[in-house]
Amino acid sequence: MRNLFLFFRKHYFIFIFLFLEVVSLVLFFRNNTFQNAVMFDWTSGISGGINSTYRDISEYFSLKRTNFILGEENATLHARMPEAIYLADTTISSRNDTLFQSEYRFINARVISNTTNRRNNYLMINKGTLQGVEPHMGVIIGDKIVGQVVNVSRHFSWALSILHKESTISAKFLKNNQLVSVEWPGGDCRTGLAREIPKHLRVSPGDTVVTSGNSEVFPNGILIGIIDKLNDQEDENFNTATLTFLTDFNGLGYVEVVVDMFKEEKEQLKASFKEL
Amino acid sequence: MTALVVRNIVRFLFLVLFQVLILNNINLGGYTNPYLYIYFVLLLPFATPRWMLLLLAFFLGIAIDLFTNTLGLNAAATVLMAFSRPYIIRAISREPEEELGIQPSLRIQGFTWFFFYALFLILIHHFALFYLEILRFTEFFQTLLRVITSTAFTLALVFLSELLFYSRGSTKR
Repeated sequence: MRNLFLFFRKHYFIFIFLFLEVVSLVLFFRNNTFQNAVMFDWTSGISGGINSTYRDISEYFSLKRTNFILGEENATLHARMPEAIYLADTTISSRNDTLFQSEYRFINARVISNTTNRRNNYLMINKGTLQGVEPHMGVIIGDKIVGQVVNVSRHFSWALSILHKESTISAKFLKNNQLVSVEWPGGDCRTGLAREIPKHLRVSPGDTVVTSGNSEVFPNGILIGIIDKLNDQEDENFNTATLTFLTDFNGLGYVEVVVDMFKEEKEQLKASFKEL
Repeated sequence: MTALVVRNIVRFLFLVLFQVLILNNINLGGYTNPYLYIYFVLLLPFATPRWMLLLLAFFLGIAIDLFTNTLGLNAAATVLMAFSRPYIIRAISREPEEELGIQPSLRIQGFTWFFFYALFLILIHHFALFYLEILRFTEFFQTLLRVITSTAFTLALVFLSELLFYSRGSTKR
């Protein structure tokens, strides 16, 4: 017993090291569990507060750009107003609420912390459970893709950026609805990779890739990127293609969280399908 | 003694804020970014008890992690770095640790000693950090490039800080 004690005393440095290393790695690998959500709830009070203050200040430097984006969006919205549409046929102007029930709702949020220079990037936004944000909701900017909410506290949420090694988006080509998946291979935050492109598919530079709407995360048709170059993989079953993201991940200011109004219904349907 | 403790506490807070508010937004050549916060571990006094060295490194890493939603990642890398510190010091010094002075410094131990001291520890930290972050070997060389360029960047910032803040009056410390 005494020897054991002496042994421990002699090598205490290594034991403490191993202990702290194990604690860190356990924390790191359980990064999506309940404990983390609880941790996040009270730590985000501090880090969120500091990040907000920082953004409040740094936002002044991009006011001009923000104004420009808002102006552009205003113009788009004006174009969609009924007054702006020339009515060729009066039957389409009436809108029946039971027929056109809106499927998605959008929560406006401000980005208060964002990275693009890591392999796994996250952004923090200033809306949380109090405003109705939940994990797995999509995050978009205008009509372009940004990421997906992973962690929510009362006032803040962390979203996984598309620039993350775990992010795989179900996508399709705008021109022919052919399904592909989009990933980020790391490196430049403007370039992504479209995978699982069937061999027979003709892909040319300039083709637009949008979300497929197959997952509950993003609505159909959210812009992802423009194809740059097709990489012919001779020894594989599918081709890949590099694409340029349309989203400016480095300049995110205000984003929208996508709320799928029929999410529960869709999930119930999926669950009941498994039981058969 | 008290002044030394206070100075280290202030340095801890300053480096954490500087890292999360400014350096984390820096992005050179695509995805090189500096991690100056480990400068705190580099500068801890030689007389720091070893258990305290590890604990301080752990809390430093956790503090950074809380801001980047990578709980445990920076902590693991920083603890590994703090663990290697006594061995690196022993390997590169001619005299025993007690005779080296109060704390590592470019001024006192000289350029060569401080360069290799900082280089090895930063390399260990960045290696652990970047490979833990991706956890796969398909991007081995890409990540190696990140480790090397980021190490050079961090090392340059460490030397810059040494020259800026510790050039005068460092003999007192």
